[in-house]
Amino acid sequence: MKRLLILAIVLRLLVAGFLFHPDIKTINFQASFLKTGVFNIYTYLVDNKKSLTLKDDFVYFPLTYFTVGGYQWAASGVLGKGFDSWLADAGSYSAVENPNIFKYLVTLKLPYLVLDVLIAFLLMKFFEDKEEKKKAFVFWLFNPFTIIIIYVFSNIDIFSVILTVLSFLMIKKQKLFSAAIFLGLASGFKLYPLLFIPFLFLAGRNLKEKAILSVTPLITFGIIILPFISSAFFQSALVSGLTTGIFTSDFATLALSLLFFYVALFDKKINLFNYWVSMFLIIFSFALFHVQWLLWIVPFLVILCIKKPDLSRLIFFLGAIAFVVPLLFQDRYMSISLFRIYSTWFDMLPTPFTLVQKVYDPLNFQFVFHSILAAGNLVMIYKLFKEDDVNDNII
Amino acid sequence: MKKLIWFTTATILFLVFLFPAVLAMGIKLIPNGDQPGYNSDQRLGVYGIRDISQKFISEKANLSAIGTSIRNPNLQNKKDIIFTLFDEKMNIVRTTIINGRNVEDGNFIKFVFEPIFDSKNKTYTFEIVSPDAGPGDTIEVFYVENGISLQSMPNWIVEYTYDKKIHKGGLPIVLYFKPTSKFEIIKEIYTNLFSRFQSLDSQKI
Repeated sequence: MKRLLILAIVLRLLVAGFLFHPDIKTINFQASFLKTGVFNIYTYLVDNKKSLTLKDDFVYFPLTYFTVGGYQWAASGVLGKGFDSWLADAGSYSAVENPNIFKYLVTLKLPYLVLDVLIAFLLMKFFEDKEEKKKAFVFWLFNPFTIIIIYVFSNIDIFSVILTVLSFLMIKKQKLFSAAIFLGLASGFKLYPLLFIPFLFLAGRNLKEKAILSVTPLITFGIIILPFISSAFFQSALVSGLTTGIFTSDFATLALSLLFFYVALFDKKINLFNYWVSMFLIIFSFALFHVQWLLWIVPFLVILCIKKPDLSRLIFFLGAIAFVVPLLFQDRYMSISLFRIYSTWFDMLPTPFTLVQKVYDPLNFQFVFHSILAAGNLVMIYKLFKEDDVNDNII
Repeated sequence: MKKLIWFTTATILFLVFLFPAVLAMGIKLIPNGDQPGYNSDQRLGVYGIRDISQKFISEKANLSAIGTSIRNPNLQNKKDIIFTLFDEKMNIVRTTIINGRNVEDGNFIKFVFEPIFDSKNKTYTFEIVSPDAGPGDTIEVFYVENGISLQSMPNWIVEYTYDKKIHKGGLPIVLYFKPTSKFEIIKEIYTNLFSRFQSLDSQKI
């Protein structure tokens, strides 16, 4: 196990240092204002937009700002003097040609590494059997998907993902109230865990428990965002495309509602794990998702792969398909430009979108892959509910 | 489990060490640097007999393309845009024609031509003209004439001519050269990467 852990860390450090998505620079530029005493980043960015070199709004929720900004403050000695000017550098060439970029990227991605390894150990707690524990450890640390999602796309979603894993550990221990608090905390980073509130409500044994379980995450989330309520916060984070993207698809809303009515009317013995996984399978089937979102479901698919090994090949195949869908956006930073640290000459290369365009409509091509993914996901949901005794051992 | 460990290890090592070399095989032209900065308010109209020409020095051999930013609001110009390259004695060396339909407003447009093998350190002039375009079909090119931008203009961009008047500076252009071999590109990319990686400051973690 020790050797495997070292290998897993080495692989992650390599990807962390050599592959670059500009989101990490933008988020850290915004979070860097915490060092200067800025508390409300939402109003600060809106008020000072004209004088800032990077003009994006802060689209994440407050805990992301304080976590990333706090870590940056703690690591400022390692990052060095030139770090803040690198963050503020809007030049697309100079930013990647800076010789310190390797140090910056590895240092900034270190918290992800800690949480990533922590998730591996948390996943082991879902199992009693030694062999299954080892499988959970290996499946999490040695699947290429998580390494790419976390370290290539610099995914801050890992903060909320680890809290949702903790939440399900609480559910396994029948501590539903603690689980609801963890979901509320997770939504302080990214809003998506709040989607689960209707299912928590239905899981309550009586009306009082139902009310407590559904209100707890909302109150936790409310306490986190309360000091920041303003039109700037509303526009930047609460109704940003990143937050509301799930509901841009009518089908996603329809299918999520169907799932809710099914559990409300027919399911007498609610298995929260099944509904949590199904919720994401529906989102990825019908919404135009960001590649980073895929991390939300991965820890739970690892559990599923161990408890239901005959699904593991299908899950791996669908994972690969799920990667192809966002790869076909006309966004250079979904493919070629991730390698700009090696050389900006890669700017000369066409994106997968442009390549496909030469022979076929890339949006149609993307639609085909998305449909295949949706079909596979729907079959998985069917299998989950048909054989839900499988998960009784987990949750 | 062993298979998965091997697969993931191999995939990640390939991604980090070999995939950039695979990508490099697809590079057909190498730029001589970044596009010089320019003020988007400084533009010159090109239509009919109103053309623009730019003198520059090619620093390398195998000159194969020249790129610059062109405005074509609402794709108003749907006529031919003719790019002609002259040598020092004003003999035509290469000609390239693109249609205004393919020039989206503000896009960086590359005029690609057959490589000039002996272009190293030679002075050339190119001319951009859209002879069939009227005033309503004007395209605009950006230029740098004075101010801080001119100071940061590379010295291989010599002078430009517009309305029969010669001015210092010129268009924010990028020159492109055909690489002599794929191996040369791969070598240069990795050499550049590791020289940056080994720089003293980047090692202090």
